[in-house]
Parts: sequence; structure tokens; C-alpha cells
Amino acid sequence: MRAVEELFGPHSRVMSVLFSSIGLSLVVAVLAAVVGTMTARALVFYDFMGKKFLSFGSVLPIIVPGTVFAMGIHVVFIRMGIADSIIGVILVHIIYALPYTINIMIDITSSLGDSLEVQAHVLGVAPRQAFSHVTFPLLLPGFMASISIGYIISFSQYFLTLMIGGGSVKTFAVMMVPFIQSGDRTISSAYALLFVLSTLAVFVVIEACIKKFAFWHHKKE
Amino acid sequence: MKNQTPYFLLLPMILLGLLFLLGIGNALVQSFGYIPAFDMMDFTLRYYEEILQKPVFIDSIRVSFVIALVSSVLAIVLGVLLCAVLVYTGNVRGKVLQIIKLPILIPHTIVALFIITILSQNGLLARIMYALGLLDTQGDFPTLLFSTNNVGIIIAYLWKEIPFVAYFVLALMASINTTLGEAAENLGASRLKTFFYITLPLCMPAIKKAFLIIFAFSFGAYEIPFLLGPTLPKALPVQAYVEYMHPDLRHRPYAMAMNSIMLLITLAMAVFYYWMVRKNIFQTGGDKDDI
Repeated sequence: MRAVEELFGPHSRVMSVLFSSIGLSLVVAVLAAVVGTMTARALVFYDFMGKKFLSFGSVLPIIVPGTVFAMGIHVVFIRMGIADSIIGVILVHIIYALPYTINIMIDITSSLGDSLEVQAHVLGVAPRQAFSHVTFPLLLPGFMASISIGYIISFSQYFLTLMIGGGSVKTFAVMMVPFIQSGDRTISSAYALLFVLSTLAVFVVIEACIKKFAFWHHKKE
Repeated sequence: MKNQTPYFLLLPMILLGLLFLLGIGNALVQSFGYIPAFDMMDFTLRYYEEILQKPVFIDSIRVSFVIALVSSVLAIVLGVLLCAVLVYTGNVRGKVLQIIKLPILIPHTIVALFIITILSQNGLLARIMYALGLLDTQGDFPTLLFSTNNVGIIIAYLWKEIPFVAYFVLALMASINTTLGEAAENLGASRLKTFFYITLPLCMPAIKKAFLIIFAFSFGAYEIPFLLGPTLPKALPVQAYVEYMHPDLRHRPYAMAMNSIMLLITLAMAVFYYWMVRKNIFQTGGDKDDI
């Protein structure tokens, strides 16, 4: 009962933090998926100077510990005025989600190839329309996987959020950890349950949205 | 116009990448004691020299290294084994795969909670063993958490990493098994022989990549050792954060010097890996993508 009161009680801010946290992670997820898609297209379809360097650079955040980056960027963000702000948190979350979204989008982009898009060009479709009507629907499964992984990385991020958010950006993960640390199993289990359930719910909604979009797109054709 | 397209597409990634490099570069610069904001203008190796002589730091680096090495090696062995079981029993998609993916979705902080609930001295396992009469008192249960043996931390990483390795290697192993593996079996090789002489060697690129990722992660991650580790010696990232938050701001270069050493070790591994992969391309004529 103590846990129920903590989570749903009249003075509890838990639910509002949960929803703002979900919102923040969705923004991170969509942006990371979009940037991942753009980067993958550039790396798969074009040759340019520094391509090897960039594709090595794109996996660096997986290898460089988050603690190193967070402590280093903290002062920079303070000077730029985006420490303790949502913008700052979103930026570092995107950086740590990008290697995964880029990887997924490279896989699907290179397996699709550009033959269908070229066909559309040949048939006289404008490049932008060829992408949005031909290529993007085919990329959707990868795009959705990117959103899911971006979401889970952002939503479970503790240290980066704590450092850059500095306590003024409260996410659900940041709120939950002190209870785990203090050994309060009742309340932290309730948090954990809510964490997992909300993640699953968000995934169901994302999947439904994508399906709806695909269906709507199909009907329009 | 055509030539500018890739740069336009890459622009957001490059900007974010610059921000990333700025963060790392800043950590490096501060580790030499150059922090103009605190009136520290000297460029010196003093902080590296000092921490390399401190037993606290030496212990930290040893602890982090042992945790990362033990958990990663065990996770690779057990993960590949799990992957092989999945491939040979034909469970490469569907429900079983969903179960494998579940631990990947659960964050380390919650894994720490599971471990505390199950393995602490008044946790589930101790209670069950006591109820079954295997222990005289619950206090006889070995201390696995918050202790210098770091068993709790390693188990927590294994719980996350075994399914990760299995999932990471699965697609490659499944495709090799259905093509070259079955060919070898048709030619009369036994299953075990096929696995060790054909399938496993061809899976090595993915396995090495997985090792690099989980080693770098368990070496540099904060959450698990913070929640499950002993007071002393602390894992390297935790110790670095303690120095970072020290009320005396002049302690900051120590934190940054620790960070640089972490960075150096993980980057050295990454470079070594790429060098190795490159050599492999010439030896076996292909990476994962070519198969």
C-alpha cells in the first residue's frame, strides 16, 4: 500500500514525471531514427572524402564510456547554457542512441538498394516524392526498430541524465534509482513494474501507429 | 548539386559527432590540469603521476578490469552456447526470440534491483535455502553483494549480456548453419565437428564485435557498480564520479585523468579490433556483411 501511495497518491509527482519522461524519450527516439536514416543513406549510396573515418566515428559512443563523455561535456554545456535543460539531455541521449539507429538503417538501406527509387526517377517521379512514396514505406520496419531502440536507450538512461539534467530534468529512471540504492524494495519494485509496463505500452502504441500509417499509405496509393 | 547531397544528409550526424568529440576532448584537456574557469592554467602531467601512485586508484582500475574481463568472457562463452542451442533447435524466430530480447529491454538499474531481491542475505534465494534446511541461518548465505568479490556485479552483467551476445550472433550463425553447415554435414562431417570447424570460426567476426561492445560497456558503466559494489575499492567510473563531485573543485583533474585512462583502454581495444578485422579480411576474404 505504501508503494501505491508513493506512485499514485495525491501529492505524488510520479505520474507526471512518467509522462514527461515518455515524451522526452519519444522525441529522442524519433530524432535519432531520422538522423540515423539520413546518415545511413549517405553512407550506403554515396562515396565521399572521410567516409571510413565517419563510419568508424559513428560507432564510437558504443565504445567510449558514458561517464567519460558526460563529465567532459558538462562544462561545455554549462558554458553554452544548455546544462540542466531538456535540450541538453535530449542532445546527449541522441548521441548515445545514434550508433544503434545508424546500424539498423544501414542494414535495411543496403539490403533494399536504390533500384526501386531509380525506377521511380526514370518514370519521372520527383526525388522527394520517390523517397516518401517508394523508399520510406519500405524502410518502415527498420525505422520502427530504430525508434524502439532509441526509446529504450533514452528511457533507461540514468547517469547521462543525472549529469546533464543536473536534477532539474527529472526522468523516471532518475527518480527510481535512489529507491533501489536505499534498498527500499517495495517502492523500487513498484517503480520497476511501472517502468516495464509503460515501456511495453509505448511499444504497442508505436507499432499501432506505424501499422496505421502503412495501411493509410497503402489505401492512398 | 549531386555532390552536396551526402554532406547535407550527414550534417546532423556530423554536428552531433563534433559535440561528442568536444566532450571527450574537454575531458582530456582538463586531465592535464588546464581549467581556465577555476584559474587553473598549467599544463601538467602531475595528476596522472599522482593517481598512478595512489593505491585507491590502482585498486579501482584492477577491479574494473577484472569485472569487465570475467563477465565478458563468461557472457561470450555462454551466449554463443545459447545461440548454438537456438540455431540447432530451430528457434531462430518467434516466441523464444521474444524472450531472449526481454533482458535487452530491461535497464541495468532494474537488473540491479532483481539481483538485490534475489541474492542478498535476506533475499529470495537465501530464504528458500533456509526454508529447505540447506542453511542454518540466513546469515550463512555468502555475501555476494556490496562485497569485494564483486560476484553480484558480474551476475548482473551476465544476466544482461548473455542474451545480448546470443541475439547479436544469431542471424549470422543461423545463415551459416543453413548453408555451409548443412553442406559440411552432407559431406559426412559430424554435427560437433561442423560446429567447431565451420560454423564457429565463420561467426568469429560477430563474436569479436560482441566482445568488444560488452567489454567496453562493463568496463565503463556506472549504474551496476554504483548500486551493487562495495564501498572500497570502487569501480573506476564510480571513483571518477566521486572525484568529480568533490567539494574542492581542484580535484576535478583527478577525475578527468581517470576518465582519460578509461578512454585510452577502451579506444585501444577498438583500434586493436579494427586492425584485427582488417587482417581477417585478407585471410578469410570476408566480413559478416559479405556472407
